[in-house]
Formats: sequence, C-alpha cells, structure tokens
Amino acid sequence: MALGLDLDYLDRSARGEFDLGWLRDTGAEWGVRALPSKTGLTLRDIAVGTYGEIPEHAPLRTMAPRGSGVEAGVPDMGYTINDRAEVWADNVLDLYEEAVSRQWSATRDIPWADLVPLDPDIEHAMCQLATVLSEVEMVAADFPAKWLWRINHDFVEAKMFLCTQVMDEARHTEVFRKRALANGGGLGRATAVVERFLQLILDAQSYDEGSALMHLLGEGIVLSLFRAGAALAPSPVEQQIFRLCMQDEARHVAYGTMHLRYRLAADPSVAEDFHAYLDQGEEIISMIFATPEIVEPTAILAAGGLEQACELGTAAGDVLRHQIIGDYLKRCAHAGLDRRGRLRLPDALIEGVPGARDEVVA
Amino acid sequence: MGVIEAAFPTPAWFVELVARATTDPAELERLGIADLRFGVEVVLPDGSVEFVGLVLDGFDIAVVGPTTEASFAPDVVVSGPLDAWLDMVRWIETHGPADSAHSLNGLTIAGIPLAARSDDAMGSDKFYRFMGTIQAVFDAAGASAPAGSQV
Repeated sequence: MALGLDLDYLDRSARGEFDLGWLRDTGAEWGVRALPSKTGLTLRDIAVGTYGEIPEHAPLRTMAPRGSGVEAGVPDMGYTINDRAEVWADNVLDLYEEAVSRQWSATRDIPWADLVPLDPDIEHAMCQLATVLSEVEMVAADFPAKWLWRINHDFVEAKMFLCTQVMDEARHTEVFRKRALANGGGLGRATAVVERFLQLILDAQSYDEGSALMHLLGEGIVLSLFRAGAALAPSPVEQQIFRLCMQDEARHVAYGTMHLRYRLAADPSVAEDFHAYLDQGEEIISMIFATPEIVEPTAILAAGGLEQACELGTAAGDVLRHQIIGDYLKRCAHAGLDRRGRLRLPDALIEGVPGARDEVVA
Repeated sequence: MGVIEAAFPTPAWFVELVARATTDPAELERLGIADLRFGVEVVLPDGSVEFVGLVLDGFDIAVVGPTTEASFAPDVVVSGPLDAWLDMVRWIETHGPADSAHSLNGLTIAGIPLAARSDDAMGSDKFYRFMGTIQAVFDAAGASAPAGSQV
C-alpha cells in the first residue's frame, strides 16, 4: 500500500475531529500490569500475558514490538532468522539484566595508577597476551553485529542480549589495548592462525555455525585465558582487568551453551551439523595451542619469568589446557552435544584431560 | 582493621562477613546483580566437613548454615582443607582485598589447595560470572565491622 500524506486528516484534526482508532480499536491487554521485582522492573517481570509469549515461528517480519497491534501494509524487513530456536536460550532474559547491571568502564574501574614497572620479560608476555586478546575480542562484537539485523524482532530479548555482548567486547578490546600501551611494553604480534579462526567465525554461513564456533568454542577458550590471567596477574591492575572480562565472557558462554541446548531440543536432527562446525573449529584451535605468541607468554606468566618458564617448559600451561578442554566438553555435554571421543585435537593436547578420550555411548 | 570474632567457618563468622560486605549497598549495587548459590566446604583435620551456603540473589546476600550440600543445592562448591581456607582468610585480614594468589579464583584454578566443583557447566560458569561479587564478600573479612553489627 502506498503511503501518502492525508491532507483531509490534517484538516479534521485541526478542528479536533480526531481519528482515535488507535485508542478505540486496540488489541492491547488493558489492565495487564507488570510489577517490579526486588531489583527493579526486569524483562522477566514484563513477560506477562500474551506479551510474554514468544512464537516458535515469527508470523511477520517487521520491527513492530511483539504484542503490539500491527497496521496492514507494514513493510517486510527481510529478516532471515524467523524461528525462535535459531537464536533463543532459556536464560537470555536473565543474562540481559545481568549484563546491563554488571557493566563497567575500562577507563574508570581499572586502577591504572597502580601499575608498577614489571620485569621486562613479564611485561612483554603481558603485552603479547593483551595484543592477542585485543585482537580476538572484537570478532565477538563483529559476529553478533553482522547477524543482529537478520534476527526477527519477535525475539527482541535475544537481540538485546547480543547488543550487550557487542558493548562487552568493545570494552574488552579497549581494556587490553590500554593495558598493552599503559606500561611501556606496547603491542606485540598478531598471528595468521588466530586470524584464520576469527575469519571462520565471521564467514560462518549461518548463525548456528558462528554461534557454536564463537560462543561455545572460541569464547570458552578465552574465558579460561581470562581466568588464568586473573590468577597469574602480576599486579592488581591485571587482576581487575581479567576478573571483569571473565565475568562478561562467562555470560556469553552461558548464552551459547543454553542456546545450543535449546536448538538441539527443538530439532535434534541438527546435532550432526553442529558436530561438523566444531570439527572444523577444533582443527584450527589445535594450531592455536601450538602458536608461540599464545603458548609462550602464558607459560612465562604462569611460571613467573622467562628463566622459570624455560625450566618448566609448558608444564605450568598444562593446567590451563586441561581447564579449557575439560570446560568445553562439559558445556557441550550440558547443551546435549557429546564431543567425547570425537574431539579433533591431537593426542598430545588431550593427554590427561578427564573424559576427553571416552567413546560416545550410543 | 578488626578481625571477625566468631571462629571460621561457623555460620556466625559468615553472618558477620556478609554484614561487613553489605555495609555500603551502593558499593554492592555497583558490582551488579548476582544469582548464585555458593557452597563453602571446609574439610577439618579429622576428615569431617563443615558446609555453609551463601545465596547471592539480586543485591541480597544470605547465609545458610550449617547445612549440607544435598539440602543446599549449590550452583558451585569450593572445597578444601581448613588450613587452606584459614590461610586465605588470614591473608585478607592482614593485607586487605585478596591478591591473585589468595583470591578464590587463584586458589581454585589448579584444583589445589581449594577446588571448585559443580554438577554441570552452568554452575561453574556462574562461579565465573559472579566472581567479583563473591570475592568482594570474602574481601570484607579485612574490612572494619559496620557500626552496630552483631555476631
């Protein structure tokens, strides 16, 4: 229907002859009142009446708020993700509230003034790790941003959560860039293998594929790196940076895990697709485990210096490797995707990880 | 810097800890809402176990204990020998907020001297999501007791 300026309406309304169709012919649930809970008025609080009903398949492709009346002739926005299972997670309402409530500032909330001169090898290691993290974090903003406009507005809570992730990742990119530049070390080296993994996420052919690679695999690994960084921090500055980033990253991973769980519960037949996505991702990840720019700074920070790291080899880093693979397997299992016995990681990497070699029980 | 008078790990010690941690509601709110059932399991020298639960709900924190893991139904449990817990507490009492080595994250990352366990991935991820809040609670062991607080 062509839109046009209704000149008659301008005349009528000027005389006080209002249309009032929006007032009289409303489908709104008059009297449905959302009540705030103890932390304020949350998304869960407003999921009342039909407003809380999320369709399995969005009937329209418009930006009209779910539950509103929709005028005939609204344009088609061309959304390509119109099934709830493609993007939903049962914890997404709570994760959004948590994300908004736990925002922080890389400028204000890090005690930058407490930075102290570090042993040059430790500073180099910290800066190299900060370089890698500043590099990889932005893909976790780019990927949701790439898909956000394709997600139907009926799943607005999921879109809103992904918006918080975009902001989180911008802040992570910011804070690690700031750390690299704040203590005299500067930025280190970006590597081809890391960029290949980021490209795999960014070029994913579906949200399913990208989310599995990013939320579950990539961010799971980074979460473990953040946890290790907080434990190995040479000063309260790095401790605070890694702790705050860990909290954010764990939200994203919690979404990814529960999204995959929702997706598989809705359609178990897609499990093999997800296995294939992760097969590919793990093959690249195995190369990251053999990338000096990641392995060595972590080993130096874990051992407390270059000499100590040379004596220990990567033994100190084994704890991190075990945690990464163990947590990843646990998340896959919770989502309903058993990767035991199917990991595309060489034996040398899964050595000693409980359950990593177990055969899948049919 | 006053030390909590009740003995660790009695529920009274945790009640006082939480009272200190919640003295300034604005500070707690700045950390953000939390949703975590956190179990503290202390293995005593004779092998018996003391179990206390902390419930982080929005901006509220409640102590449940003494209790058992089964009845508390925690998202995550941090467990370890009494000496390891006391080392952490004494360090915070002496120095203030835990450094990396004396934080819950640092003490649990290798599984020794403390270990974090959960039934599923969501429990361990909740430990990571609310690490700042739960650490702030334990860091209050080094803070002054709020005026009028009782143990």
